Amino acid sequence: MKRFGIVLKYELKEYFTNKVFMGLTVALVVLGAAALFLPRFVDMSGFTGVKVVGGGSEETGGESTEEEKALYLYVDEAGVVQLQILQEMFPDVDWQEAGDADALRASVEAQDAEAGFVVTGATQYEYYVYNKAMTDRNPDIFGQAMKLFYRIQYSREKGWDLGEITAMYDVPVTVTEQILNKDSGSNYWYCYVLVIIVFMLIVYYGQMIAVSVTSEKSNRAIEVLVTSTSPNSLLFGKVIAGAVGGVFQMGVILGAVLLSYQVNREQWGGMLDMFLHIPGNVLISFAFFGLGGYLFYAFLFGAMGALVSKTEDISKSVSGLMVVVMGVYFFSLMQLMNVDGPVIKVLSFLPISSYSTMFARVAMGSVAIWEIVLSFLILAVSIVGTGMVGAKLYRMGTLRYGNPIKIGTALKDLRKSD
Amino acid sequence: MKLEVKGIRKSFGDKEVLHGIDFHVESGKALGLLGRNGAGKTTTIRILMDVFHANSGEILLDGIRFVPAKHRIGYLPEERGLYPKRTVIDQMVYLACLRGMNPKEARESAKKWLSRLEVSEYETRKLETLSKGNQQKVQLAATLVSNPEIVILDEPFSGLDPVNSQILKDVVNELIADNRIVIFSSHQMSYVEEFCDEIAIINQGEVVLAGKLRDIKKEYGKNRLMLAAENLSLEELADRAEREWADLVCVSDRKKDFLILELKEGADRRKIMAALAASDVEVERFGRYEPSLNDIFVVKVGEEE
Repeated sequence: MKRFGIVLKYELKEYFTNKVFMGLTVALVVLGAAALFLPRFVDMSGFTGVKVVGGGSEETGGESTEEEKALYLYVDEAGVVQLQILQEMFPDVDWQEAGDADALRASVEAQDAEAGFVVTGATQYEYYVYNKAMTDRNPDIFGQAMKLFYRIQYSREKGWDLGEITAMYDVPVTVTEQILNKDSGSNYWYCYVLVIIVFMLIVYYGQMIAVSVTSEKSNRAIEVLVTSTSPNSLLFGKVIAGAVGGVFQMGVILGAVLLSYQVNREQWGGMLDMFLHIPGNVLISFAFFGLGGYLFYAFLFGAMGALVSKTEDISKSVSGLMVVVMGVYFFSLMQLMNVDGPVIKVLSFLPISSYSTMFARVAMGSVAIWEIVLSFLILAVSIVGTGMVGAKLYRMGTLRYGNPIKIGTALKDLRKSD
Repeated sequence: MKLEVKGIRKSFGDKEVLHGIDFHVESGKALGLLGRNGAGKTTTIRILMDVFHANSGEILLDGIRFVPAKHRIGYLPEERGLYPKRTVIDQMVYLACLRGMNPKEARESAKKWLSRLEVSEYETRKLETLSKGNQQKVQLAATLVSNPEIVILDEPFSGLDPVNSQILKDVVNELIADNRIVIFSSHQMSYVEEFCDEIAIINQGEVVLAGKLRDIKKEYGKNRLMLAAENLSLEELADRAEREWADLVCVSDRKKDFLILELKEGADRRKIMAALAASDVEVERFGRYEPSLNDIFVVKVGEEE
């Protein structure tokens, strides 16, 4: 145990004195926090819908100032356009009528106007734009305006009261939701984000652990290490240090982001709640299952690292493991839509997948306490089992140089030596 | 202390690589563990250090089963390796702590050995920034940092220039004088001869020759004489020996500067001296031939092949 502590301390020092590791952590914390503090210092009311006034905030309702307005042109060949409606539907736009379609086209081409509309019939128009952005919604909105012009004209011709018909069609319905357990709709996105975080943690730090083990073989430090302490101390120390390093980095970044959002939630108008306003019980189950799953895979990555002698061979050694990790990842994301289905229920008890599926069930589905406890016990026992097998593979693999050892061969050799 | 290795057998898969290794070494003495590449030296050392488990046989320290974890052992592997990106002092303290020292002791000891091996100035430098020779000295310092009772050195002189070799020679002699058990594995036989009282030659997983080096040399030099003349070339001298003293000696070997003659039955040194005195040969060198360890190794391992 004492030797494990020495290895752990040494390996941790590797992480915490690594300038890249610490620099990246600090940079991501600063960037994340800075981005979330932005509405306090920069007017983002157009995006957030909240205007910051002397440190406080107020809803803006989406109005914008005169100087920000873009110039749009229109030509009304059909005689249906009502300027007031266009101004209401395009509040950020300064509308001007062009002489004819050619003049409109020339203005757009010269980029004097941002866009132009030539209404050629009651239900037809041409849209002119110099560069069309992916997010360009002008045709949709103008289409809505055209429908309205048509309805107004049609109602007038028939002598109908359009206001009355519209009020009848769009009668407001008030709903008061009484969610008695989980709200999957609002929990879905942060669940999605947390599954991605654990996946990244496993893949990124798992690879780092494998590289760290293989490096000791390739630089032959292992020759001295295995004669100085037990392989168990070495592998457990290395894996736990990787876990602490990974959880520290991810925890600090995630903590900074969540805290910064909490502080600035009002300024954001709560618009990021679906990602960043995570309930405590979900965070706790994420911590237990996420960390457990990470440890489970970390031992396997460590053992896989011991089966090769060169860092360039690691990808071969961990490829099988990566297939499992990726498979679980995609399956988990797919099953987030059906968290009470039989597939996710089975997956939530398997140690290879409970790290993401059980906490998804906790966040979004119906799960009994005994199920959570049983799943965690299975995961905990599997971590110990993986650690023991990993240490044996590590012991067997560390002093075998040359070609990569296949996992099947390694397990066969282990059975023989037992 | 007396370390005894008795009847060690080891198989990898279906292949037995050690077929019953026996040797012993005592405190204040050095054992030369010799053998060709792949003979089984490193496997024997790894079993000694509990990295591999033997299939049978035992290792005893003063008659009691040897448990490496309970003793401080310094091992310098043939394949050198430490952490290239960590500072010298950091990794030395780490290794000393792993071998049972507390951090304060470890730091003091690391500084002492770095100073003894004349590489103190590099203690805060990353290993990869040092020259090969200095890295080798750091590796040696790391081997000795825990003040081991048992020191196992595998090719310790490789990569060292003559000045650094002399520093290491002095250190090894100090270890022997300090009553440590030293196991010395090398292909450079001159160093083995310099330090080791006993040797064990391993060939194809078996000890083919073991014992006190002096006795072995005496045994291999028995009935053999060396002879060189001032007025004759080695060819002429060999010709004369085979023609004129054929009843007394035969030419066994020819070295660069002298002949090795083997006494025939009934002959002795005095009779040869008398024959030489009666001839016109102007003797330059004459005496008992003591084979070098290199000769013994080549003969013994060659025989076994």
